[in-house]
Amino acid sequence: MSSIYYYLSAFLFTLGLLGTIFKKDLISILLCLELMMGGVSLLMVLFSRATGVLESQLIVFFMMIISACEIAIGLSLIIALYRKKQTIYTDDIKIITE
Amino acid sequence: MMSDILLTIVTMVFALMVVFSKKTVVSALALLMTLLSIAMIYFQLGTFFLAAIQVLVNAGAIAILFVFVMMLINLEQFENNREKGKVKLVISVLAVLIIMGVFSLIINNNIEVLTANNISDNSMKALFDKLFMDYYLPFEMATVLLLAALVACIVITGHEKAAKVEHGESNE
Repeated sequence: MSSIYYYLSAFLFTLGLLGTIFKKDLISILLCLELMMGGVSLLMVLFSRATGVLESQLIVFFMMIISACEIAIGLSLIIALYRKKQTIYTDDIKIITE
Repeated sequence: MMSDILLTIVTMVFALMVVFSKKTVVSALALLMTLLSIAMIYFQLGTFFLAAIQVLVNAGAIAILFVFVMMLINLEQFENNREKGKVKLVISVLAVLIIMGVFSLIINNNIEVLTANNISDNSMKALFDKLFMDYYLPFEMATVLLLAALVACIVITGHEKAAKVEHGESNE
């Protein structure tokens, strides 16, 4: 009866994707990225259970490390942007077009 | 079986709170609860090492890091919540339904394969044997990656201050 978790991982990934697309402030976008990562990790653990391959769990372990790095660097970029522009909204950032 | 459904409902409610909450602090705390629920699911599936790592790293460090950054940048001036409109909500619901439909087709066609429990040796010893014997090089690379991320964070957030100090000294 663990098949319900497959739906849960799909739901988490889709919700995170939509939040990443539609949210306007950068912190919420990072939160939604973390949500997507949670859904993918859950799917990998379920595959590890279904196939008996332990490497899937190791992949989840490395994914956690990479997502920790990603979130730390993303948050420090947000802090640097806030110091420079006093905003965290994606609408206000036009550094490339300036 | 009952606990499966209960955990799924709890996780879904907290995930919805992450996306649809008005305040970003509430979103961060809902993300913390979502990650803890996923850790409970890992416990239930028998992958205890990943559950512990999930609680320690994701829930314990990353979610708290979000709250720290929110305190640093004074979020109260940003609470006006710019996104509005029913169109986005309709698109979101439609997209969730379509993707869940595709997933349910895939899952229902392979239901026997996907719900099997084939892990013969679920002990941590087997996992660590793999991690430190066969995959020691990726493990070391991950530590180097963490170190690089640490240095990058310090450089990115501390750069402006250092540049100012240099500038001041050159003026003098």
